[in-house]
Amino acid sequence: MTKPLSIYRIAFKNLQRKKARSTLTLIGIGLSAWVLTSLFGFNQGYETALNKDIDNMGFQVLLTAKGCPYEAATLMLKGGTGLRYMPESVISDVVRYPGIEKVTPMLMQAVFDPNKGESGGISAYLGVDPASYPQLKAFLSFEQGSWFTDPLGYQAVMGYEAAELEQREIGDKILIPEKNIEFTVVGVLKRSGTQDDGTIFIPIRTLQKEFGQQGKVTALGIKVSKTANIIELENKLYDLPDVQVVSMAQVRETIMSLVSTAKVMVISIALIAILIAILGVINTILMSVFERFQEIGILKSMGAMPADVFRMVWTETVILCLLGGMLGVGLAFGLAKITDFLIRRLLPYAPTGSLVQVNLPLALLILVIVLGIGLISGLYPAWWAARVRPLESIRSEGD
Amino acid sequence: MRKTMRKAGSEVLALIICLGASCWLLWAAVGCELNDPDRDVRRFFPESTGYKTMYASVKQQGGEPRLARIQIRLGDTFKGLYETIDTPYSMYQILRGTEIIGYIHGVNQKGQYGGIQVFLALDRQGLIRHFYFQKVTNRSAKLLRDPAFAAQFVGLSLQDFDQYDVNAGSAKPGSRVAAIRNPAPDAEFDFRAALRATKKNLILCDIFLLGDIPGK
Repeated sequence: MTKPLSIYRIAFKNLQRKKARSTLTLIGIGLSAWVLTSLFGFNQGYETALNKDIDNMGFQVLLTAKGCPYEAATLMLKGGTGLRYMPESVISDVVRYPGIEKVTPMLMQAVFDPNKGESGGISAYLGVDPASYPQLKAFLSFEQGSWFTDPLGYQAVMGYEAAELEQREIGDKILIPEKNIEFTVVGVLKRSGTQDDGTIFIPIRTLQKEFGQQGKVTALGIKVSKTANIIELENKLYDLPDVQVVSMAQVRETIMSLVSTAKVMVISIALIAILIAILGVINTILMSVFERFQEIGILKSMGAMPADVFRMVWTETVILCLLGGMLGVGLAFGLAKITDFLIRRLLPYAPTGSLVQVNLPLALLILVIVLGIGLISGLYPAWWAARVRPLESIRSEGD
Repeated sequence: MRKTMRKAGSEVLALIICLGASCWLLWAAVGCELNDPDRDVRRFFPESTGYKTMYASVKQQGGEPRLARIQIRLGDTFKGLYETIDTPYSMYQILRGTEIIGYIHGVNQKGQYGGIQVFLALDRQGLIRHFYFQKVTNRSAKLLRDPAFAAQFVGLSLQDFDQYDVNAGSAKPGSRVAAIRNPAPDAEFDFRAALRATKKNLILCDIFLLGDIPGK
């Protein structure tokens, strides 16, 4: 007694009959799945990498007392004068605003050093909170040493250029001549390409104490949550008395618009890829059904029901799509690094980190999408095959 | 107002980015330049009518073999970020009309509390006309910057420093270098640093400006 053939085996055998066409269709689906996986992986990776870059920006809003110079170069231009202060209690007012993720207080102080140059010069020091500042500037890394070990200590962390100019290494001393106090260098930062390179950091409490500015700050660095409306928040911050808001939102907004643009691009290309895949599959299966017109008629005359024929053709499509999907996902996994490299070369601005993130959830998602494509694409050819009339198809022999 | 401030903020950020980018380009080791060359040249060479700035590095002029020779002459190895083979040295050739009447050259040196910058004004024979601390951070910096201290260097040349041991801080007894007195005993570190910087400065001037005589 022969074992009856299952519908799946028939479908599989049908695909094997035209090996070249089935292989080409498989490759086509595989390529589409690869493109889809890489696109979604890029979307995922690009967004993650850009978000990381935003995090690395540290704070995006700087709140200072009205009229206070907010960076060292301006302070130097003003001859170290013109510093304005805010009470430290402003922190509790600021954190109440929605959308604020982290706040760090800063105190800038400048002293006249009579032995800098022929007629003296200004040295600036930035008091920072050892608990919150390093968190906000997580991208800063150290050439030597680390951040302060004692929040009340007489320790200094120097930016790369400051250390280079002053020829300081960890363990060396720096002196604030006007105050006659020494600090031990505990860390030298790596070059960051920002104004931090030229900054000398001191624990804020120590600086407040030595300069008699207890309870006062010159600036607050504010990190805004990714979902917050930064412009709206800035406008609200102006409600605080005697403050100025220095916005660095433009860079953040540019990055976020890059993310949005990338998303639109990815979705558009993905839709095109899906459309091409659907048309390709319909074409292949329909051609195969047309070729088997008489065969389908014979099957029906032997007792196959329209539902059986429908299921057989639909199964062929699903098998093709699943195998193609697996091929594509495999390609995406295997070639992720090359894709990353190529995209990086093409993009005018590529964030740090992996640009193409292909992982298991994404692979499963792509397989589901490709399976969906198979089910949709197979509908029409299967419906067409199910409608074949046995007499008509047999009569067409020799046409 | 707010818009203006926001715009200003963006401009500042752009400026910071540009400055950052320029810093990146100037990745090489830090050099030593006069803060105000016009003023300083007039001060050290009142008879001058102009000056020409020249740049050189050991890497460009002789590379490793020359660096080795410099270190032998100095009696010490080059250390830190400010003493590398690619440190760009700025040299000022002082002119009266078209005639070269002297040179000014400065070097960086590690001090007790920060970087020290020692400038020497030399005549055409390599004799020190002026010794100048452009930068020094020390509690006794006033004494080190006193003209009386600088005057002790006037008339000295590289030959006088040949026997000076930069590591031990000792000179040949009875030599002119041995006669240089530290005006601030608590600033011994910076005093020795100044002498080392002077010797290094004279060696570099000899190489770059006066003609490095083999066997010297």
